[in-house]
Amino acid sequence: MIRYIARRLAQAAVIVAIVATITFALIHIAPGDPFSAVLDNPNVSETVRQTLRAQYGLDRPIPEQFVRYVGALAHGELGWSFSHDRPVLEVLGSALPNTLLLMVVALVGGFALGIFVALVQVARRGSIADRILGGITLLFFSMPDFWLAILALLALTYWLPIFPVGGAVDPVMHEYMSLGGRLLDRLKHLALPALTLTLLASATVARYQRAALLDVLPADYIRTARLKGLTERQILRRHALRNALLPIITLLGLSFPALLTGAFFIERIFAWPGMGYAVVNAISTRDYPLVVGGVIIGSIMVTVGSLIADLLYAWADPRLRGH
Amino acid sequence: MATEVARPRESPLGITVRGLLRQRSSRVALILLGVIVLIGLLAPLLAPYDPAAQPDIVGLKSLPPSLAHPFGTDPYSRDVLSRVLYGARLSLTIGILATFVSLTVGVAYGSVAGYLGGVVDGVMMRVLDALLSIPRLLLLLGVLVAWPHLSIGALILFLGLTGWFGLSRIVRGQVLALKHAEFVTAAQALGASRRRILVKHLLPNLVSPIAVAATLGVAHVIVLEAGLSFLGIGVPQPLASWGNIIQDGVDQIATLWWMSFFPGLFMVLTVLTLNILGEALRDSYERRS
Amino acid sequence: MPSPLLSIRDLRTWFYTEGGIAKAVDGVSFDVGAGETVGIVGESGCGKSVTALSILRLIQPPGRIESGSVIEFEGKNLATLDDDEMRRIRGNRISMIFQEPMSALNPVFTVGDQVAEVARIHAGLGRRKAWDLAVETLALTGIPAPEDRAKQYPHQLSGGMRQRVLIAMALIMKPALVIADEPTTALDVTIQAQILDLLVNLQKEFGTSILMITHDLGVVAETTSRVIVMYAGEIVEQASVTELFARPHHPYTEGLMHSMPHIGHDQERLNVIPGTVPAPTNWPTGCRFADRCPYSWDLTLHDHPPLYDVGAGHISRCHLAKEPERRNQPHPPLVVEEGVDAA
Repeated sequence: MIRYIARRLAQAAVIVAIVATITFALIHIAPGDPFSAVLDNPNVSETVRQTLRAQYGLDRPIPEQFVRYVGALAHGELGWSFSHDRPVLEVLGSALPNTLLLMVVALVGGFALGIFVALVQVARRGSIADRILGGITLLFFSMPDFWLAILALLALTYWLPIFPVGGAVDPVMHEYMSLGGRLLDRLKHLALPALTLTLLASATVARYQRAALLDVLPADYIRTARLKGLTERQILRRHALRNALLPIITLLGLSFPALLTGAFFIERIFAWPGMGYAVVNAISTRDYPLVVGGVIIGSIMVTVGSLIADLLYAWADPRLRGH
Repeated sequence: MATEVARPRESPLGITVRGLLRQRSSRVALILLGVIVLIGLLAPLLAPYDPAAQPDIVGLKSLPPSLAHPFGTDPYSRDVLSRVLYGARLSLTIGILATFVSLTVGVAYGSVAGYLGGVVDGVMMRVLDALLSIPRLLLLLGVLVAWPHLSIGALILFLGLTGWFGLSRIVRGQVLALKHAEFVTAAQALGASRRRILVKHLLPNLVSPIAVAATLGVAHVIVLEAGLSFLGIGVPQPLASWGNIIQDGVDQIATLWWMSFFPGLFMVLTVLTLNILGEALRDSYERRS
Repeated sequence: MPSPLLSIRDLRTWFYTEGGIAKAVDGVSFDVGAGETVGIVGESGCGKSVTALSILRLIQPPGRIESGSVIEFEGKNLATLDDDEMRRIRGNRISMIFQEPMSALNPVFTVGDQVAEVARIHAGLGRRKAWDLAVETLALTGIPAPEDRAKQYPHQLSGGMRQRVLIAMALIMKPALVIADEPTTALDVTIQAQILDLLVNLQKEFGTSILMITHDLGVVAETTSRVIVMYAGEIVEQASVTELFARPHHPYTEGLMHSMPHIGHDQERLNVIPGTVPAPTNWPTGCRFADRCPYSWDLTLHDHPPLYDVGAGHISRCHLAKEPERRNQPHPPLVVEEGVDAA
């Protein structure tokens, strides 16, 4: 088991290294200066430009730039954000917890809801309920994230003003609230973005879990469970689910990219101050270092997530636990 | 006892497609998709107005849906229905072309990796893992922000170049399985050339996974392109794509609800039908094997 | 004569498929007495496994136990019992052992847990007590160091040991009847003998009845006291084991016995019964074995034979009971396979 962990960690490190190389290539393949879009900005003075050029070694040969780049990355230096006038790492670092909060809530909620729906569907497989739920999950599965977010915004903040329009906290009143009030305020603001992302995630989970359960049901050991006199519900919940959860753990690892992408759009629509919101704004201001920084951090998050999922899988499947 | 007439052998694709058509949901989806494709093709004939025309920026701007403008008008007084119809055309074209690029690269990469095997395969797969770790949107963001003012052609190319990872894995798997398959050794023993083996044995096995990847791939690209246009780095104005239209209305989401609703509706319908078809193809393919 | 433990009358299990109604079990009647070991023999497709599954009401759609079937057990008709009551019987009063020990155990639970589960469900035992009982039962099946083994997972055990676990699972509640469906087919020859011995010993110790389903006459000879031969969804012969081996009556049974390889005999080719079983969607109107039978004549082709009494508790579904002289006029069977010499 330890060897497996060590091997996966090494793999993850290699992947991050390759990602860094790819982003470097992206930066330098682009036409002109990597930062020409910014440096063409009339608000940036000429001296600043020269300093930045020298600082980033843009006049040095490519291999040397690469080495400096990798070195900087290793130190956690992701460059300077022009639009925020702060280091990229600082901007993204303060925004990251908000995105993580959103993603974790959606992950937990999405998987819980998805597994529940799948269980209901399989317990009544072939019935009308199964098909209706299947249609609903297909619908949400096919919906673009930002469209659902827009609909949710329209429906539940404008037409029926249940939730606040955006942001993480009330911009005016938050400081003046009691502790309980502040918590409630945060929750109210978190609710809609989290709900939207959860619904989208749960659709994918429900579809995969349903398929996984149906895959498991014809197995011989399910027949053995029937022979023992277990009820169908007990069989489903105890024997089938436990085995069908294994592919779902794999799904967990594979769902991070989609979850992150979804978070990006949802943060944009709900003005949720996370990494996605920062990166999306950086696009309009052409703050390239921030965008690249977002790409790198996003990739690292995905790699780490996938690693955690793999380790979880190895733990959950006794056949892999190295017995 | 009558002797049976020999039936021509059915190709795997034929079997798969027939299994697909047996289900009602697939038939409905196919018809719906056909309608949408037809709309896209016939947009110039169906659209009541010129999608780029801004006839009256004062009087006709931002009107809610009405008989004259069933989907309303946008802040530039353009008719939203016409733009949505043209958007179908553009978004579908981008989807199909980009997926074509993805399929080509995916098959090529996977075949090479599977065929060469060994260290080269190992390296290629590691690179693939890394590419898979970067969320597709982020990868595109990284590229598109560095390259502002991209042409549609370049957009299609980049969309295509970011969507081949999954398929290449499948192709590699098939190639590897083929390399060790007994009938290949037998065929080689009979003197069949490599190319013949490739064409006669590999390709038929690949047709179905490619069909599935194509269908689902187009769906992904449509959503992705819409997302990018929505963020402002996809299809440039004044061209109409579904994402663009939503972006036009995003600053006044509450008051201009029709600008988000209708393009999105079309998108959902298209993606829904493509998903239904893609999954039905996949089920049918897996069932026969 | 004490009333039998299990009494099956006119069991019909039919499968409603696209290709027609497959009458997998088509009017089967027999008894199993308390403490008795009865064997059901036949080639695959004859309906023996479906019979077993029908007893436990494990037939899934499109299969159905037809009305009129009676499966009498401990005063109840299992064919019409409601689901909850049926579940109380499964694993508790009647249990079953399958032929695939490799896949019959859930890979993510310990072996002990899976055996104990039966006791938790049916005897309402708590975790600790159920576990202890499971370990005890595992010990009875001859697994060494059962306390340690119980904590292991199925993939850590060999095929023979997994089968012992399944036997423990079947016996933990001391059922009145154990149905064993090809329990040794998937095992090594050496292990086969051990498992069969185990079953025979456990049967003597617990007084359980065993219904042994197999295609292997050797297994039948070793373990059973009475044998039922099935073919094409029906019983074609039934007798005590000694009587059957000494005086097989039905041509199918004869064929089965001749196809057993004999050690010590020089044989160039295995004797095979030519032809194949007819399709269950289309049973012939006359004798179902007629086209493969070396003695068939026009009566057998048109009249479906009933079960004739051929003496000493021996019944046979063969018109030879009416015209025994036909046995002296063998001929090539009506169905001859290409390239195979008629027996």
